Amino acid sequence: MSALGHYLEEEGIATVAISLIRPQTENTKPPRALWVPFELGRPFGPPDDPAFQRRVILAALRQLVRARGPVVIAEFADDDPRARPDLAWRPPALAPAPAGATAEVLAARLETEIISLRQAHRHWIAQHGRTTVGLSGLSISDCGHYVADWLRGTAPPSPREVFSPPLMLRFALDDIKAYYLEAAASGGGEPSSRQLSDWLWDQTVTGGAIQAMRRVCLTSEDERVKLIAGSFMVPAARVRDRG
Amino acid sequence: MVRLVDLPPAQAQRYAEVECPDFATRPWVVGPPLARRRVAVVSSAGLVVRGEAPFRGRDPDYRVIPAETGPENLLISHISINFDRTGFQEDRNVVFPIDRLNELAADGEIASVARTHYSFMGAADPLEMEPHARELAGRLKQDDVDAVILPPV
Repeated sequence: MSALGHYLEEEGIATVAISLIRPQTENTKPPRALWVPFELGRPFGPPDDPAFQRRVILAALRQLVRARGPVVIAEFADDDPRARPDLAWRPPALAPAPAGATAEVLAARLETEIISLRQAHRHWIAQHGRTTVGLSGLSISDCGHYVADWLRGTAPPSPREVFSPPLMLRFALDDIKAYYLEAAASGGGEPSSRQLSDWLWDQTVTGGAIQAMRRVCLTSEDERVKLIAGSFMVPAARVRDRG
Repeated sequence: MVRLVDLPPAQAQRYAEVECPDFATRPWVVGPPLARRRVAVVSSAGLVVRGEAPFRGRDPDYRVIPAETGPENLLISHISINFDRTGFQEDRNVVFPIDRLNELAADGEIASVARTHYSFMGAADPLEMEPHARELAGRLKQDDVDAVILPPV
């Protein structure tokens, strides 16, 4: 964002960046920035808290009328109240993940688990009026089927010509993860992102299946598949069997 | 929670030490008070309107987000999976604060909100983004924008 700020400012437009990684901002020196103490992915803080978000955006915009600069790196002092866990939150009930399952069993269980969350996900959509599932352009059951085929080791063709098979795999996985995290939050409460992520990666069949698929795809001879497996399947903080 | 300290040390270091071109200039544009500014969002979240082309890799160009885009039609296609998306799933304003900007305009804190907003994908090469950013500046000026907020993810 610092480079964008530099280019736009050189073209005559005033900018202010939100900074989530202060050392990066200090290194790249944008004209103006507001550092916020929130987790990556939440530049304006807690969801569904308009008053808090308004304070963040106003604090950022007010840097635009500072008399002295560049470089300005201001700070927003307050933490995100939604970062705290909600101990009353309960995720949807799922059948336990099988221990030591074969890829074929994991693939079949992944597909049935996706279907079992359909009601919870419908509830999410009814509550929020939207879903962020949709990058792949496939239905969620087709996403599950496509990913399951990869897990079975069949390297299926892409169902959409506009996306190569590895790219379709990435988007199908993004859609499945979004579907699970939305379904997980459909039961009410205010779960933290860590609670939701813990559930996806530690308590669902699909979380374990994606970890297993990552290991399989890292041995692929297709460099694109290895890239997807290495960087775009499992978050760095969630990778098991790193070696 | 996905803070820098939650990432494996090597990953956290890569984020903290991300390279940026060594610019020869330090531009600084001054302008009128906030209440007379027209504000646009230029995100680096890899935002895309549903049905349009998502960011495939480190694409250095940008996507157009009309101000009237409904919350049901805004998706994130950033290549990184190392940031939280649940906040955005619940409320787009966590990443794309269009409702907050409209409220600020209605309250007179800012003059107005741009007709169109934009998103890059923050993992792209800054040097490859440059021509697209400079071309975007022309679009912003055509919309009389004189203040841009740059949120990452």
